[in-house]
Amino acid sequence: MSAPPAGAAEAGRGREGTVFDIGYQRYTGAREGRARARMAVFKDGLRIAMGLGRGPRAKILPWFFVAVLAFIALIMALVAGAAERLGGPGAAQEMNLPSHSDFYGIASMILFVFAALVGPELLCRDRREGVIHLYLVRPLTGADYVFSRWAAFLVVVSAAAWLPQLILFLGLSMGDPAPLDYLGQHWLDVPRFLLAGLAMAAYTTTLALLTASFTTRRAYAAVFLVGLFMITTPFTAGAAQEIGGTAGQWISMFNLTNIPVHVNDVIFGQVSEITEEAPARAFPPAVLVGWYLAWTLVPAAILGWRYRRGAP
Amino acid sequence: MASGDALLVAEHLTKRYRDVTALDDVSFSIFDGITGILGENGAGKSTAIKIFLGLIRPTSGSATVLGQDAFESVAVRGRLGYMPEHDCLPGQVSAAEFLTHLAEASGLPPSAARTRAADTLRHAGLFEERYRAIGGYSTGMKQRVKLGQALVHDPAFVFLDEPTAGLDPVGREEMLDLVRKTHREFGISVLLSSHLMADVERTCDRIVVLQGGRLVESGEVGHFTKETETVFIEVDTNREALVAALQRRGVVVTAEGGGLTIEGADESVYDLVRDALVEAQAPLRRMAPRRAALTDLFERDGDRAPAGAGA
Repeated sequence: MSAPPAGAAEAGRGREGTVFDIGYQRYTGAREGRARARMAVFKDGLRIAMGLGRGPRAKILPWFFVAVLAFIALIMALVAGAAERLGGPGAAQEMNLPSHSDFYGIASMILFVFAALVGPELLCRDRREGVIHLYLVRPLTGADYVFSRWAAFLVVVSAAAWLPQLILFLGLSMGDPAPLDYLGQHWLDVPRFLLAGLAMAAYTTTLALLTASFTTRRAYAAVFLVGLFMITTPFTAGAAQEIGGTAGQWISMFNLTNIPVHVNDVIFGQVSEITEEAPARAFPPAVLVGWYLAWTLVPAAILGWRYRRGAP
Repeated sequence: MASGDALLVAEHLTKRYRDVTALDDVSFSIFDGITGILGENGAGKSTAIKIFLGLIRPTSGSATVLGQDAFESVAVRGRLGYMPEHDCLPGQVSAAEFLTHLAEASGLPPSAARTRAADTLRHAGLFEERYRAIGGYSTGMKQRVKLGQALVHDPAFVFLDEPTAGLDPVGREEMLDLVRKTHREFGISVLLSSHLMADVERTCDRIVVLQGGRLVESGEVGHFTKETETVFIEVDTNREALVAALQRRGVVVTAEGGGLTIEGADESVYDLVRDALVEAQAPLRRMAPRRAALTDLFERDGDRAPAGAGA
């Protein structure tokens, strides 16, 4: 091998670099204050809820529930599509197959269990590990912190609720012999399921995080929430049927699983399969919506109070 | 803020929890530099720090941080750092990710937060380990992460609560070096809360001593140690005659082991010692000035000694 020309060697030496330790540098850039702090806690909440940036174990639970919800919607779409193709146009409607207005009723328990198992992780871990103390000494109030976490989980639950509805909508559109006609006739289902999904997500998020604010262990919060939903459903249904009348209707209102489904019924203007037998459905829409708001806003206020400055 | 302005000011600060008075009419100012806050458990150190961090509202009096009301101003906390004594680190995430996140939570834009996190971990001596999950770190490394998160947003003032807790002697020395660097190289003022007087004496420029919620002492560390400067002497023979000669000259002298400790170390004391040595015909073996440690100071004034002073 011939030696490189002298000029090339000089140029090569010229490209060599030296690393200097320039010591500590003061930060002179922008400081974006509370808005940036809230956004940071919000983004971190999304990552915790979906297990992003964490190990595989942290991802299993949230993605499993998302997959189950999507699978249910896929099955519903396939069945409706098959009915249309086998029975002719309008067959799915004639057979009264479940559709958008029924989905949240069918999936409500899965959404509640999802919120109960995943939601508490957003608050419990910070308090158990003491990270909350590092947040509260930054340009962030306790209310900022808990609202950012709440908003992050609301987004996650909303997405988990909307995704299957979207799959169902696309499936039903494509399964219809005349997809454009279907879209023209059913486009209103989209804003309806978005609004009903948001209502469902706000309710479950608030209850899950309120429960989480009372314990540092996710398992305790999850068991309490799942137990609460599981127990109130058969208990209130049985007692409401037994007692009957207005008292029975009010007992039926305490079925925690049905509270957001009644709102779903109000939004879609029809009773879903899950609330068909509930005596509470006879209440006027304003009462049903008011009851839902009470069960969402009062827990939200308690949650905010629990995280007033420096409290945890 | 002009040099010499107080960074933290407590004015008649009182904090009561039902029947317990955690702070009782305490007033002091903290300036640029490293200040130690000393006191036994329950002396009010943590309460004072919590008030300055805006976590609790004082019952009466005022606490001002960087010229702003500590409780009312949330924005000022973007310029403060806090290293708690207790555990506060998540086990699952890496130090780099954690510091980046907390830099953002202090108001820094994401790109700046990433750069600052890497730089801060380098200064804290964790650059090579920054992508490992914090849960696998040693106690010393965790303390460095705790210090790093307090510095990552380049605060003007940082509160360090027992930064050497749980560290072995080497780790403790390294942490105190980092604390000194924090002010001398990084230019960040420090309030160091500790019950270890040796740490405070070797690291701090000034001290604030609290006991039972009241202010006992505050001032420069050198002031306390200078006040009690002594001279230690040893002689081969005629020790009793020397003591008598010193006492005749009005010198306060106490026996300590094989030697004598003489209070005061100005020029006149040295002259008196010289004269007494000649008079007693005591051959001098050793004579050395000795500056009292903070530990000695508070042990001597037993009624105001913080617990753990001897540590």
